[in-house]
Amino acid sequence: MSDALEIRDLHVRFHTRRGLYRALNGVNLRLARGEVLGIAGESGCGKTTMGLGVMSLLPRNASYPQGQVVFDNKDLVNLPREYSERVGDRFSPKQNERILRRVSKAMAPIRGRRISMVFQEPMTSLNPVLPIGFQVGESIYVHDPAQLARRVLARSKATPELTRELVSLLAATHGDETSVRKFAAEHDLAGIEEQALFVWSRGDIHISRKEKAIRALSGQPMNFVERWIIDTVVRARSIPWYLSRIPILSRIVRRVLMREGNRKARELLTSLGIHHAERVVRMFPHELSGGMRQRVVIAIALANNPEIVIMDEPTSAVDVTVQAQILELVKRIRTSVSASFIVISHDLAVLAEVCDRIAIMYAGRIVEVAPTDEILHKPLHPYTQMLISAIPTLEGKPVEGIQGDVPDMRAVPSGCAFHPRCPFAFEKCREVIPTDLPHGSDQLVACWLYEGK
Amino acid sequence: MATVTESKARFDELRLSGKVFLSNKTAVVGLAIFLVFIGDAFLVQVAPGVLGVQYPDSVVPPQFTQTNPECVGTAPEAPSFNHLFGTIQYGLSGIGCLDLLQLVMKAIRIDVAISFFIVLVGAAIGTVVGVVSGYFGRWLDEAMMRVTDVFFSVPFLILALAVGFVIGRTLVNMALALIIIWWPLYARYGRSLTLSTKEATFIESARAAGSGRLKIIFRHIMPNVLPPVLVQISLDVGTVILIFSTLAFIGFLPSNALVPELGAIASIGLDFVALGDWWPVIIPGAVITMFSLAVNLMGDGLRDVIDPRRRS
Amino acid sequence: MMIAAYGLSKFFPIRGAFRSTASLKAVDDVGLKIQNEQVVGLVGESGSGKSTVGRCLIRLLNPTDGEVLFDIPDSELAEYEKARAAAATERLDAIADRFSLLRRSSSELRPLRRLANIVFQDPYSSLNPRMRLADIISEPMLSTQFCSRAEAGIRARELLHEVGLPEFFEDRYPHELSGGQRQRVAIARAISTNPKLLILDEPTSALDVSVQAQILNLLRGLQQKYGISMLLITHNIAVVAYLAEYVYVMYAGKIMEWGDKRKVLRDPQHPYTKALMSSVPVIGETMTRTVLRGDPPNLVVPPLACRFHPRCPVAFEVCGWSADEVVEDLEYLLAGKYYGTFGDGVHVATEGDRTIVVQGTTDAQRISELVAREQEEIRSLKGIKAVDVTADATLIHLHEPIEPDMYPSTDGREVKCLLFRTGALVPAATS
Repeated sequence: MSDALEIRDLHVRFHTRRGLYRALNGVNLRLARGEVLGIAGESGCGKTTMGLGVMSLLPRNASYPQGQVVFDNKDLVNLPREYSERVGDRFSPKQNERILRRVSKAMAPIRGRRISMVFQEPMTSLNPVLPIGFQVGESIYVHDPAQLARRVLARSKATPELTRELVSLLAATHGDETSVRKFAAEHDLAGIEEQALFVWSRGDIHISRKEKAIRALSGQPMNFVERWIIDTVVRARSIPWYLSRIPILSRIVRRVLMREGNRKARELLTSLGIHHAERVVRMFPHELSGGMRQRVVIAIALANNPEIVIMDEPTSAVDVTVQAQILELVKRIRTSVSASFIVISHDLAVLAEVCDRIAIMYAGRIVEVAPTDEILHKPLHPYTQMLISAIPTLEGKPVEGIQGDVPDMRAVPSGCAFHPRCPFAFEKCREVIPTDLPHGSDQLVACWLYEGK
Repeated sequence: MATVTESKARFDELRLSGKVFLSNKTAVVGLAIFLVFIGDAFLVQVAPGVLGVQYPDSVVPPQFTQTNPECVGTAPEAPSFNHLFGTIQYGLSGIGCLDLLQLVMKAIRIDVAISFFIVLVGAAIGTVVGVVSGYFGRWLDEAMMRVTDVFFSVPFLILALAVGFVIGRTLVNMALALIIIWWPLYARYGRSLTLSTKEATFIESARAAGSGRLKIIFRHIMPNVLPPVLVQISLDVGTVILIFSTLAFIGFLPSNALVPELGAIASIGLDFVALGDWWPVIIPGAVITMFSLAVNLMGDGLRDVIDPRRRS
Repeated sequence: MMIAAYGLSKFFPIRGAFRSTASLKAVDDVGLKIQNEQVVGLVGESGSGKSTVGRCLIRLLNPTDGEVLFDIPDSELAEYEKARAAAATERLDAIADRFSLLRRSSSELRPLRRLANIVFQDPYSSLNPRMRLADIISEPMLSTQFCSRAEAGIRARELLHEVGLPEFFEDRYPHELSGGQRQRVAIARAISTNPKLLILDEPTSALDVSVQAQILNLLRGLQQKYGISMLLITHNIAVVAYLAEYVYVMYAGKIMEWGDKRKVLRDPQHPYTKALMSSVPVIGETMTRTVLRGDPPNLVVPPLACRFHPRCPVAFEVCGWSADEVVEDLEYLLAGKYYGTFGDGVHVATEGDRTIVVQGTTDAQRISELVAREQEEIRSLKGIKAVDVTADATLIHLHEPIEPDMYPSTDGREVKCLLFRTGALVPAATS
C-alpha cells in the first residue's frame, strides 16, 4: 500500500526585509497509512512551517524553491515551486499571492476534507460570534454536503418497520458495524448506519431510550422542494451550481443541510466525550474551557473523515490534567478513525505517548526518524541524545543543556547545521550536509558519525 | 572588536529603518514636499532676502496706511512669468497690489510654525495627562478621563470661536484655542499606550527592584510611549494646518491683523472670485492641501518604521 | 526562617456597572514557609493562584488578608506561632510589627527590596526594550541605593559574566538577544543586590528544553554558591523535581498538599496530587493514569468546602456537594440511564441549599437503590444523606459539608483532604 503522504526534499524560504529566512532545508518524510507520526523540535526548527506547508497555508512571502509534497499521487506544491523556479531571486510576494490563490482553489477539495489541521490555540480557529454547532456543521456543509443529504434522505426513506428491524439487528449483533452497514446498503438507506450506531454506542442512556431514538430515525417529513433538493445533492455528491446560485433555492438548501449539520455536530461532540452535547452546540467558543475548545476543534478536523490529520501543538496551550484528557482522546480516536496523524510538538514526552514513529527536526531538516521506542531508548543523532538528556524527570536526575542557541535561520551553519553545538563534530560535518543514513530496519539518521556503519 | 560589532548592529537597525521608509514610495514623496516647506520656512526666518521676501511678518509693509496709487483701479494679475502665482489686491479699493508667490512663501513659515507649535504643546500636555491617568488609574484616571471627555464633546469650531471672542482674535490666541481642542486626543492616546505598556512585566520587575513611581514613569513608561506619539504628531500636523487655516478663512483673524496666513490669504482672494479671478483662492488652498497630504504620507511611512511587523 | 506566610488571601474585585459586586478568590488562606537557603517549589495549573502567591509574598500585590513574616529568627517564629495558636493578639502584633512585610510603608519597604527579588516567565516582556542591558541590571542596585552608579556599572559587567554572558553585552538591547540569553539577564538583574530570597515565576516555561536545562543548571549553581532561598513557581513538575527540596501543590487558590519533594512526587497523598502526577507524561513509561473529568472551577463562585471535590475521583459524603451539583447528575440519570425505570415526567429541582425535590415519583426505594448503585461512579450521589417521600414527590436531603484543613500525613507532610482527618466524618445513620 502506498504512503498516505510523502514529503520529498522540501525547501521553504521566507523573504523578509531582514533577509532570506531558510525555514525548511530539504525535508524528507513518509507518512504511512493509519500511522501516527510525531514531529519534535525546538522553536524555530521549522516544524510548524512544515505542517502549514503541507496544507499550502503559508503566507505570501514564502517560496518553495525545491521539493514535493505528494498526496494521492499529486504534488501539492507544484504551482508555487514552478513559480519560484521561474523567478529565482526576483521573488515578489504580490505575484506569489496570486499563485497561492490558485493553489487555494486547487486545494479546496483536499484542505479540511481529506487533510485537516488542528492548531495550538483553539480560539484562533473558532469564530467567536458563531455557536459551536453551527461551526462544526458548517465545516461538513462546506466540504461534504452530500454526507448530510444522505443522512436526511435515509431518515425520510426509512419506514417504522425497517427501523424496528434495525433495532433487533443491533440487539442481535451487539451493535456490529459491518452488519449494520450491510443492512443499510441492502435497504438503500446509506447514511442511517452511522446515526443508528452512534445512538447504540452511547453508554449513558437506557436501552429503552436508545430503541426509541433509533425508531425515531424513520419517516422524516419533507415537502417536495426539500425532497428534490436532497435527492439532487445525494445524486450529484455535491451541491450543483443551480442549487447554490439561485437566491431563494440556495437559502433552502443551506437551511435543510445546516440543520442536519447541527445534528451531526451533536453526535460528533458526544463521541469525543463531551457531556451534554445538545447544550454545548448552542454555546459560543468563549463559554467553553480550553480543553473543551480543543475537543471542538478536533471534532471539526475529524468531521469529514479525513485521510490525514495534522495536529500542531495540540496540548501546548492547556494544563497537564487537561493535556492528559486530550492525549487519552487522541489515543482513542486513532483506533476508531482510519486517518493517519501527524502530531507536531516541542514536548517529546507528549509524542512518546501517542506516536508510532517520531521525527526529530533541527534547523529545517529531519535529523532522525525512528519508531518511538528506538528514538527514546536508542537515539543515534547527537542532537536527539542531548535533547532527551535535557528533559528534566520526576526523579530529578541531572539535566544537561545543549551549549549555544538555536541557529539563526537567516544564516544556517554550513554542512550539518548542528555542528557548532555538537561535541562530536569533525571536519566533514562543517562542510558537507549529511544524508539520511539508514540504521537497522526502520531508523534513519542524518549524521556523518554513522557513515559506513 | 566588541564595539565594532556593536556600532555595526546599531547601524544595521538604522539602515533597516531607512529601508522600510524608502520602500514606501508615497512616503518618500511626502518627505520631499515636506522638506521643501520646511526649507522655505527656514529661509524666510533666517534670510528672507534670498527668496526676495520683504517684511516677512506682515501682508503689507509695516506702517502702511495709505492707498498705493499704482494699484488703484488695476485688477489682480493672472499668473505670468513676472508673477508666477499672479497678484492680488489687498482691499477692494486697492490698498496694495501684492505678489501672491511672495505672500505664500511668507505664509508657509507662519503656518508650519504654528501648526507644529499647536501639535507639540497639545501632545506634551495630553501625553503627560494620559500617562499619569493611565499609570495611576482608579479615581484619578476616572476624573481625568471625564475632563477630557468634556473637552471632546464640545464642537471644535464653536469652542475655538468662543475662545477667540473671549480672549481676543489674534494668531497666538487662535493657536491656544486649537491646543485646547487638541490635547484630549493625545490624552486618550497616551493613556491607551500607557495601559498596554503597564501590562509588561518589566514594570513589575522595576517595582520589585524598588524603583519609585516617578522613576518608573520616566524610565520605563515614557520611552515606550513616545515613539508612537511622535508618529501621531507627524500625522496630526497636517490635520491641524487644515483646521487652522479654515478658522482663518472664515474670519477668526480680523481683517486688519494683516497676518500672512494661507487661510486668511484665501479669504482675501474670495473677494475676487466673483470677478472670475480663480488664483487668489485656488493657489493658497492648493498649498494647504499639498502640505497636509505630504505630512500624512510621511507619517504613514514613519508608522511603518516603528511597526515591528512591517520591519520583518 | 526566610519567609513565612499565614492565611494569605488575595481577592480580586470584579468590576460591576457601578461598584464591585463579586470577587475572584484567586488565593484563599494559603500558608507557606521557606527556610534559609532552601528551594521550595510551588506547583499548580494555570489559574491556581500560584503566581499571585509569589507576588503577594514580596508585596508586588497587596494581599487582601494574611500575614507575611520576612527574615525572622526561628525562635521568634516559634513564639509567633505559639501566640497565633493562643490567639494572643498583643504578642502577635509585637512580633509581627518587627518582621511583617505587610506592615511596612512603601518607603520602609525600599531597602528590603534588596533582600528579595523576582524573575518572571516571559523574558520578552520582562526586559524594557528601550534600555541597555547594563542599565537593566543596574536598576535594582540604584533604586535600592545598594551602591553608587559607577560601582553598579562594574558590577553589571561582573554579573553578566556570572550568568554566562560576555561582558560586551552591556551595551546591547534586549531585542538583540535570544530567549535564553534574556532570561540570563533577568536572573543577573534579580541577583544584583545579593538578595536572600528569589521568587522564580515560571522561569523556564517560555524556553526550549535545551535552553531550559542551561537555565536550571545556572539557577542551581547560583543557589549553591550564594545560598539564596528560592521559591520556584511552575506548572512543570519535573522542574520542581530538579531544583526544589520541598514542594507545595496548589489547586484553585488553596494549598492541597506540601512536604518533602521526593515523598510528594513519588507517593502523593492528596487525590489531586495523585491525578496531577499521573497526568505528567513520562518518557519511556506507559502507565495507567487517573484522568480528571471537567475543568478547574470558577473562582468567583468556588465549590463548597473542598474546592477539588467536583473533579475528585474519591470524593465522599461531606466533601462539599451542593444541591445544584447533585441535581445535575440526578437529572441526567433519571432521564437517561434509568429512563426505563422512571419514564417521562420526572422533574428534579433544588429546594433551598441542602434539599432536592423529585417531582413525578414517590418511589423512594428505587431512588435509594439507584443512588447506592451509581455512587461509586457518580461521586455527587455520595452527598445524598436521606431520601424521603411526601404526598406527591420525593425529597432528597444532603449531607452538611465539612471544610477541610491541613491534616498531618506520613513523613511530616500535610494534606488538605478530609480523608486524612481523624475521627468520624460521616454521621452513622445514612439511610
